Amino acid sequence: MLNEKIHTGPVETPKTVQETAPVVELPVQYPKSESNAQDIVKVVNLSKQFDGIEVLRDINLTIKKGDVVSILGSSGSGKSTLLRCMNWLEQPERGSIHLGDERIGINPATRKPLKYKELAKIRERIGMVFQSFNLWPHLTVLRNVMEALLHVKKMPKVEAEKIARAQLEKVGMSHKLDSYPSMLSGGQKQRVAIARALAMEPEVLLFDEPTSALDPELVDEVLTVMQSLSKEGYTMVVVTHEMEFARNVSSQVVFLEKGILIEKCPPEKFFTHPDSPRVRQFLKLDGA
Amino acid sequence: MDYYGWMQLLQGAWTTAWISMVSIALGVVIGLVIALIRMAKLPIIDQILGVYVSWARATPLVTLALFIFLSFPSFGINLDKHFSAILCLTLNTSAFNAEIWRNAFLNFSSGQKEAAEALGMRRMTYFRRIMFPQMVVMSLPALVNEMSFLIKGSPAIAVIGVVDLTRVTNRIAAVTYEPLLPILCAGILYMCIIGVLIKLQQMAERKANYLAG
Repeated sequence: MLNEKIHTGPVETPKTVQETAPVVELPVQYPKSESNAQDIVKVVNLSKQFDGIEVLRDINLTIKKGDVVSILGSSGSGKSTLLRCMNWLEQPERGSIHLGDERIGINPATRKPLKYKELAKIRERIGMVFQSFNLWPHLTVLRNVMEALLHVKKMPKVEAEKIARAQLEKVGMSHKLDSYPSMLSGGQKQRVAIARALAMEPEVLLFDEPTSALDPELVDEVLTVMQSLSKEGYTMVVVTHEMEFARNVSSQVVFLEKGILIEKCPPEKFFTHPDSPRVRQFLKLDGA
Repeated sequence: MDYYGWMQLLQGAWTTAWISMVSIALGVVIGLVIALIRMAKLPIIDQILGVYVSWARATPLVTLALFIFLSFPSFGINLDKHFSAILCLTLNTSAFNAEIWRNAFLNFSSGQKEAAEALGMRRMTYFRRIMFPQMVVMSLPALVNEMSFLIKGSPAIAVIGVVDLTRVTNRIAAVTYEPLLPILCAGILYMCIIGVLIKLQQMAERKANYLAG
């Protein structure tokens, strides 16, 4: 199975032959030949502080093509920050993040931050779905999805509209093309936001608590869409509190506690016999 | 009031209208530019603009008009009275508009920007396509309000000799000895000019309902 090939952090022992690449000290440099073509996102020794408080410490995570990684943890554990670092909405102090062979945010040759233009180029390849949807309220549903195709990818209008219609069809929003976001329910807004991200054909989709702002009865329509995306083979990283989703849809579960990655394993193991006592406590596995 | 009197009145209305419109157009654009520069927080320029905004907002229009009209000739520059009037109104309204635009900047949700960034949108594209259209709709009620204040404050420019809609009523009355009719007509004409602006504002508010959700 795919998830068994996931690179593990420094503390865990490698399970397969591919994984015998040693964990190297900072600064980390991966020779081209060693980097697996299947690796889409690679987070190496990532650390991030807010006003001197460490919110992420030495995170290592490799995400392969087709993986659905759920990031769990209590509030303030740093899971959203980790996700936001992956497309440089937050800038980490140490460590690196790679998308394919490219480093995100920093020019590896000069070690300087990327120019905004170069960063935008990489961000085109990473889709993001936010907790609060962040649709553009002055544009219709269709225009929301078309906007980046027209003005980032510079597509002709006819083609952009075709793609936008197809993506909205996929998330079940074809009947609301001409509505404005304020006329939609939370679940509908989030589905439009997913279509907007999908339209750019990203290599990886990041979901930042996509169902946390929704009424309980609207959660399922969004999770259903996400589940069908996972079946289509999209690579997804999902910060969530939805245990059922993590258990049934994801191929890998990651648990963060106070900025440290303390558990990383397939959901079957995570939800039945996790190694960390903290995870057992989180899942209330030891009984009351 | 004879035919000549009516023509004078309309001419006064036209003078008020075109001087106000030019000042409004300049003031809205200059106000936006000031707000943009201030949002960039350039050290010294920001402070200079801050002082300008406070000064222009605190000075009565009549004082400002007299100051401009009297001070420039002492530097050897003779200003046309219409030009002085436009300069005076523009300096005043730009300061108020700058604050209106700046407020719209400050109140804009950061989430929309993050969504644009995450899609790889450039800053300029984001401003032009996403932020600016919404800022216009959000600010329009306050901008229109400021525009109507400008028109209603415009009789101040009579002090430097511009024959505007209010001033012209004095002139007509001086001939006809009937001050009531021309001033009543002037009031109605002011209402018509401002009525056009209010109509504009209502259209914008209807559009703004979409943005509420």
